[in-house]
Amino acid sequence: MAANFWTSTHYKQLLDPEDVDVVHPPDRERGITVEDFKLIKMQMVTYIWKLAQHVKVRQRVIATAVTYMRRVYTRKSMSEYDPRLVAPACLYLAAKAEESTVQAKALVFYIKKIYADEKYRYDMKDILEMEMKILEALNYYLVVFHPYRSLTHLLQDAGMEDMTQFTWGLVNDTYKMDLILVHPPHLIALACIYIASVYKDRDTTSWFEELRVDMNVVKNIAVEILDFYENHRSITEERVTAAFSKLALKA
Amino acid sequence: MAVAAPGQLNIEESPPSWGSRSVDCFEKLEQIGEGTYGQVFMAREIRSSEIVALKKIRMDNEKEGFPITAIREIKILKKLQHENVIKLKEIVTSPGPETVEQRKEEGNKYKGSIYMVFEYMDHDLTGLADRPGLRFTIPQIKCYMKQLLTGLHYCHVNQVLHRDIKGSNLLIDNEGRLKLADFGLARSFSNDHVGNLTNRVITLWYRPPELLLGATKYGPAVDMWSVGCIFGELLFGKPILTGKNEPEQLNKIFELCGSPDEVNWPGVSKIPWYNNFKPTRPMKRRIREVFRHFDRHALDLLDRMLTLDPAQRITAKDALDAEYFWTDPLPCDPKSLPKYESSHEFQTKKKRQQQRQNEEAAKRQKLANPLPHSRLPPIQHPGQSHPSQWSGPNHPVNHSQPALPSGPGHHHYGKPRGPPGGPNRYPPSGTQGTNYNPNHGGGATQVRGYAGGPYPTQGRPPAYGGSSMPPGPAGGPGAPGGYGGPSNFPQSNQYGGSTTNRSLNQLANNRNQQYGWQQ
Repeated sequence: MAANFWTSTHYKQLLDPEDVDVVHPPDRERGITVEDFKLIKMQMVTYIWKLAQHVKVRQRVIATAVTYMRRVYTRKSMSEYDPRLVAPACLYLAAKAEESTVQAKALVFYIKKIYADEKYRYDMKDILEMEMKILEALNYYLVVFHPYRSLTHLLQDAGMEDMTQFTWGLVNDTYKMDLILVHPPHLIALACIYIASVYKDRDTTSWFEELRVDMNVVKNIAVEILDFYENHRSITEERVTAAFSKLALKA
Repeated sequence: MAVAAPGQLNIEESPPSWGSRSVDCFEKLEQIGEGTYGQVFMAREIRSSEIVALKKIRMDNEKEGFPITAIREIKILKKLQHENVIKLKEIVTSPGPETVEQRKEEGNKYKGSIYMVFEYMDHDLTGLADRPGLRFTIPQIKCYMKQLLTGLHYCHVNQVLHRDIKGSNLLIDNEGRLKLADFGLARSFSNDHVGNLTNRVITLWYRPPELLLGATKYGPAVDMWSVGCIFGELLFGKPILTGKNEPEQLNKIFELCGSPDEVNWPGVSKIPWYNNFKPTRPMKRRIREVFRHFDRHALDLLDRMLTLDPAQRITAKDALDAEYFWTDPLPCDPKSLPKYESSHEFQTKKKRQQQRQNEEAAKRQKLANPLPHSRLPPIQHPGQSHPSQWSGPNHPVNHSQPALPSGPGHHHYGKPRGPPGGPNRYPPSGTQGTNYNPNHGGGATQVRGYAGGPYPTQGRPPAYGGSSMPPGPAGGPGAPGGYGGPSNFPQSNQYGGSTTNRSLNQLANNRNQQYGWQQ
């Protein structure tokens, strides 16, 4: 995907963090907290990731699918839109939108393979129906920009090509958060480069100074990412299970 | 916005801007076209009375959900915002087959239908060009071409290939604005991701040689070839490369543009099907000969658009800089163009079909034939390099624009003035009406009909054959001969029957064939 980010619908739709962390009323009634909400979304990122590895699609497709999923939950509740169906349906739609079509049949096959749990059991018809609902929830805005492209350019410019793999991994991890809904992708890329340079002790101060970006914003994003890593350690299997049990959709 | 305390609501419901409206907000008026993957209706938005075009997304593949072609089109249209690109206003859904008729119509396949809502445009270029008696002026052609190139340049800059440029996808409103439409085959391309693309795109007559030779890596040049075909068509008065299948299309291209080799097209021999299709004998490029009656700058531009090697083919940007657009007569202001009653290829086709049926009936009753339809090419200067051909006196000027200083006025709108060429422009009337549609019988006579005339008439019944007409200057000595009589196109025999190409049935078949592809 190309075009200009600043004229894109992606840019126009960037949200305030306060608007992203909203638990919808039906979910709240089930006792789901903002923390649960985040946990479930994170769990679904892992799900999309696993599934994507089986059907062999590019990183871009995963990133787009995750973004769709996160956008859906800024507007829809998990009680109405079961994450365990939304996740594969988002992957299905993202694969089309990113020109790496995956057959619905294949998805259904691998879902069974990955999860023995009945709650994940959906068939083709369900996925196709959810695809339509997702399209509508997204209001047919399908274009997503990701930090990957700017990352490559920026690393080159900074003469840090050797850090590509490390920063790429950092960018991947940002999809476990809602950053992509809140910040322009190139700033996320810069924040990852910033973290990498601090982590690996590279002096990039002058390079960052020459960029005409607000370093405060970059640093704030970096702090968010570091906070996430910090919190991530405290996430346990039990907490995830507890969050899902509140959903208790396919009882 | 802070998170509300427990028990309080943050928002009552999703913001109203989300989700899509129902198609019930619109009142369907009539069908105006057949898109790549669905019907197109003219409709009125009930609340505002605004006229729009509704394009229904056909959902016939139950196995793979929402069509990827629709996804592409939506993605691309949401990205492109330009005055020469059709504007997607919104997407609406119909709630499902709740009424009996709907259920019948949908066959209960899918619960609801999805429509793309576009701004309404009065005409498409083919529909307009096919209006009986209508003849474009040179400034008008320049004006349309300039807009076409501007829109296409914008697409290419935004890394979108249209991949189905043809007259019926170029919409024109009554303000003279031209907009690219039907992005159902369009694709984003990026320079860093070199994937393979399908070569089964672009309607056959407008398909470039690299695609016909099986190339799967290609770029914006494919659209420029189509633009060249349209440009030629506007000046010539009818489509210029009209193969009825892929090998024949290639052959026609080679006959006009010469055969490709490693000299004029480095790398051509590595294109997948080159060896299957390479011509047995070398052919020489004869664009300048066949179209020698075209204005010199027009010919230069056409020559650069119809360049075999895509790498050497002119880009939209360079085409906009061509002398052609900067010499007299200059492109006119779109607003100065005449307003016509709405016409779309779909409708004109329907009308002609009707007309043909009437003709058939008339024939059967041995009544006089009504005048069938044909397009009129613009009246134009022959190239300045052939001044001897321009021997006629000034012809009557009948237009609303100031006459341009460069020479005699060469534009007049509207009324049929008789074809500009001499009687030999069109095949004799013997084949009239029989060669249009295979379903109407005939076609067998076509070989003879074609050989006798200059260029094939591509399914439009030849008109005015042999009838007398006012001798306009373009019909003067020299000019019409330049269309390439039998001597210029010695291959005429093999084209027998090619004129059936435009029938609706076959178009539909072509579509299915082409658009079944998913990549």
